[in-house]
Amino acid sequence: MRYRIGAFAVLGIAAWFLPYGLGPYGIHVVDIAVVFALLAVGLGLAMGVGGQINLAQVAFFGVSSYAVAILTTRAGFGFWTSAVLALVAAALVGVFVGIPALRMQSHYLGIVTLGLALAFTNWVTNSTITGGADGISGIPIPPLFGIDLSSEYLYYYVELIVFGLALGFAGFVAHTGLGRRMRAMRDDSLAAGAVGAPVPVLRMTAFVLASLYGGVAGVLYAGLVRYVAPETFSIANMFLLLAMVIIGGRQSILGCVVGAVALSLLREVLIDFSVYAQLGFGVVVVLMVVLAPTGLAGIPARITRVVRRRRTAEHHATLRPFAPASAPTDGGTGAGLAISGISKQFRGLKALQDVSMSVAPGEIRGVVGPNGSGKTTLFNIVSGIYTVSAGSASVDGTVVTGRRPHQLSRLGLARTFQNLRLFGQMTVLDNVLVALDRSSMWAAWRYPLWPFGILRAERDLRVRAGRLLDQFGLTDFADAAPKSLPYGIQRRLEIARAMATGPRLLLLDEPAAGLNGEEVGQLSEIVRSIRDSGVTVVLIEHNMGLVMSLCDRVTVLASGGVIADGTPAEVAVLPKVIEAYLGDSMNTNDIAAEVSP
Amino acid sequence: MEVFFQTLVGGLGFGAVYALVAMGFSLVYRTMGLVNFAHGQVVMIGAYAASTFYMSAHVPFFVSIPVAMLVTGLIGLVIERVLRPLENKDFDLMLIGTIGFGMVLESLATITWGATGHAVPSPVDTAPLDLFGIRLRTYSLVVLGIAALATVALVLFLQRTKRGAAMQAVAMDHEAATAVGIHVGRSNAIAFAIGAGLAALAGALVAPMLYVNPTLGGSLGIKGFAAAILGGFGNIPGAIVGGIAIGLLDSYAAGRFQAYSELVVFLVFTVIIMIRPTGLFGERTVNRA
Repeated sequence: MRYRIGAFAVLGIAAWFLPYGLGPYGIHVVDIAVVFALLAVGLGLAMGVGGQINLAQVAFFGVSSYAVAILTTRAGFGFWTSAVLALVAAALVGVFVGIPALRMQSHYLGIVTLGLALAFTNWVTNSTITGGADGISGIPIPPLFGIDLSSEYLYYYVELIVFGLALGFAGFVAHTGLGRRMRAMRDDSLAAGAVGAPVPVLRMTAFVLASLYGGVAGVLYAGLVRYVAPETFSIANMFLLLAMVIIGGRQSILGCVVGAVALSLLREVLIDFSVYAQLGFGVVVVLMVVLAPTGLAGIPARITRVVRRRRTAEHHATLRPFAPASAPTDGGTGAGLAISGISKQFRGLKALQDVSMSVAPGEIRGVVGPNGSGKTTLFNIVSGIYTVSAGSASVDGTVVTGRRPHQLSRLGLARTFQNLRLFGQMTVLDNVLVALDRSSMWAAWRYPLWPFGILRAERDLRVRAGRLLDQFGLTDFADAAPKSLPYGIQRRLEIARAMATGPRLLLLDEPAAGLNGEEVGQLSEIVRSIRDSGVTVVLIEHNMGLVMSLCDRVTVLASGGVIADGTPAEVAVLPKVIEAYLGDSMNTNDIAAEVSP
Repeated sequence: MEVFFQTLVGGLGFGAVYALVAMGFSLVYRTMGLVNFAHGQVVMIGAYAASTFYMSAHVPFFVSIPVAMLVTGLIGLVIERVLRPLENKDFDLMLIGTIGFGMVLESLATITWGATGHAVPSPVDTAPLDLFGIRLRTYSLVVLGIAALATVALVLFLQRTKRGAAMQAVAMDHEAATAVGIHVGRSNAIAFAIGAGLAALAGALVAPMLYVNPTLGGSLGIKGFAAAILGGFGNIPGAIVGGIAIGLLDSYAAGRFQAYSELVVFLVFTVIIMIRPTGLFGERTVNRA
């Protein structure tokens, strides 16, 4: 950290004295590079941090440049008034372009944003208000306390200050709660919703942030060049911008800046061979995605990983035993769950038909049944991932069907997933931090206005995350990537993450799948302790030994309906259950013997 | 009324071309889940290759098409081979990789053929047919016919041949396909090559209708892509309907909004896709938790 601050200081000073060594053309090139760096930071926030494919970044840039040009030359506003209005316009366009992200992701989003960017270029090249293909010239020089900003040297310092602030803000967002939620959404939007991150709001936030950075870049560009024309905002430039972000490393804000500055300068050096430059950029992009997907920014980490692996034979991290919580945290006994008459259809397939069950507060309930009997579907409905076709579910009297997963997380509902949905590109610590962070999205007002509040909350979260990792015996793995850990540890991390949300009702979907005998024993101990700390637990499980020994009551599903409900001993001997579960020819004495004390 | 039908007929020729582009997209998407953003540029290379053979080597137009398809088929193989390490791993990265290939192809075209482009004379120069007062360009009919033939051939290939069945199997579950002995990489490569071949066919057919230049791929690709999404991604009949729909929308917007047609087309497309993200015939995919 200290090295990093030192490096920033050195770079800052170097940037401050840079103009002394540059000619008039050189400073112009650098000024343009700063504009592109701002654009790249915005694109990095949306794509690298938020995982939203955004091919409309040049349109945000263009909207704000054109807004400044139109407002100053045609409406007679002053430069800075126009600049503020231009930022508002860019943000509004950001919201508009972001709306499709609520309904679609990945390549669909890519094509829609690209289409909207094309629509924008089409409009500016044809409209009379934008001056058509000729563009708009004669944008006034921005006045600034009598400093003559027609000098590109002095303009550079304005840009540098704005850029420094913007970069700092982007880094601040990326490394604190908001950015962490965005990264969680990028890695797994379903799981992000389940731990309480409001995915729709976060997607919009990603686009609004991108558009604001595009807007600032547009204002600076308009003030610098004082002339706007459609070709600056072409798709070719969009792809150039994309190349900058990919080559630099989309998940690192600094990487985006490095990529943008490097490619802007290279483009100027190769101005006489622009076609070959484009060819080269394309080739480098292809090589980068195949060979170094984290870009230039990821290379130091890869080198250190290789070096470290050579130097130390093995990292001695151990999974510590789970430490049961001493007493119920808030004295409660958990929430009751009531499911009444739920049906769910997928087209013709009736996954659930008129399922009712009720789970008392503080109970451990097992849900068993053959594969395809609708167990996970039931969990998906209760946790807000699916909507119901009929019926309703309620937690402590509050109806939960029809609400979004993140709202349910706030009501005290948490879950794990059958196939593990950890946030793969975040550390173990970050996985837990996302879930611990219960702040509302409204609290994001503090980002621009009271950053110290954010920092304080951050420190508090880290202390609590340390305690939680300690409790689950995961402290040694805090900085590890989840995917690098053994399966059993990943399963335990998922439970720890669910518990970090402070639930009153916990849904575990096959928590013992893939665990060895010893780990199943530990799991049983963990689940009991969770219940004792005041959380109702419902678990789907195929390991009958575990279900029989752990659960207070068991509900049996078959072909989408409840066929039995009772204590393990009652349920295990019912002929219907045995038939559904084992087929009627099996010898069931073993299970009966295991269950009876 | 006559204007309406004239617009309709005018849109059909382009619609058939968009349908071919969309079919290429869909074929690659359904077999490997990848959206090839370089597809438009492959169309452009196809247009250049076909028109260059046609005009400079003086071979008949309909001979130059298979040659162009061969050229782009090879390009498709190269793209697939380079991006193979990412297959079934990170689709967003693959998408960006194909954008990189698009940049490469566009600059290669500029280096080879220059930035200015050329016009291609129509290979069928009979007078337009007159049908109840509506003028039908003969060439549009040829385009429609060839597109229909290509569609039938593709569907027969997918449904009646062993190789086609293997590709369907890979599309449904690449792991299970590997387990029964299908070489997934090779199957993907063939899908990519066929997709690129369809792109060349589209490019060659559209060449006499447009001015061929290196940036041709951008808007053709995006409209073909929009057609594929509109029809329901990965759905071959859907791609045709989507292509025709975009062609008609395009032709109508050009008549009604002139220069703003592109703006209108993409806004309408965005609205439709917001209402039905899975397109007209797409299957609703369920999030599996």
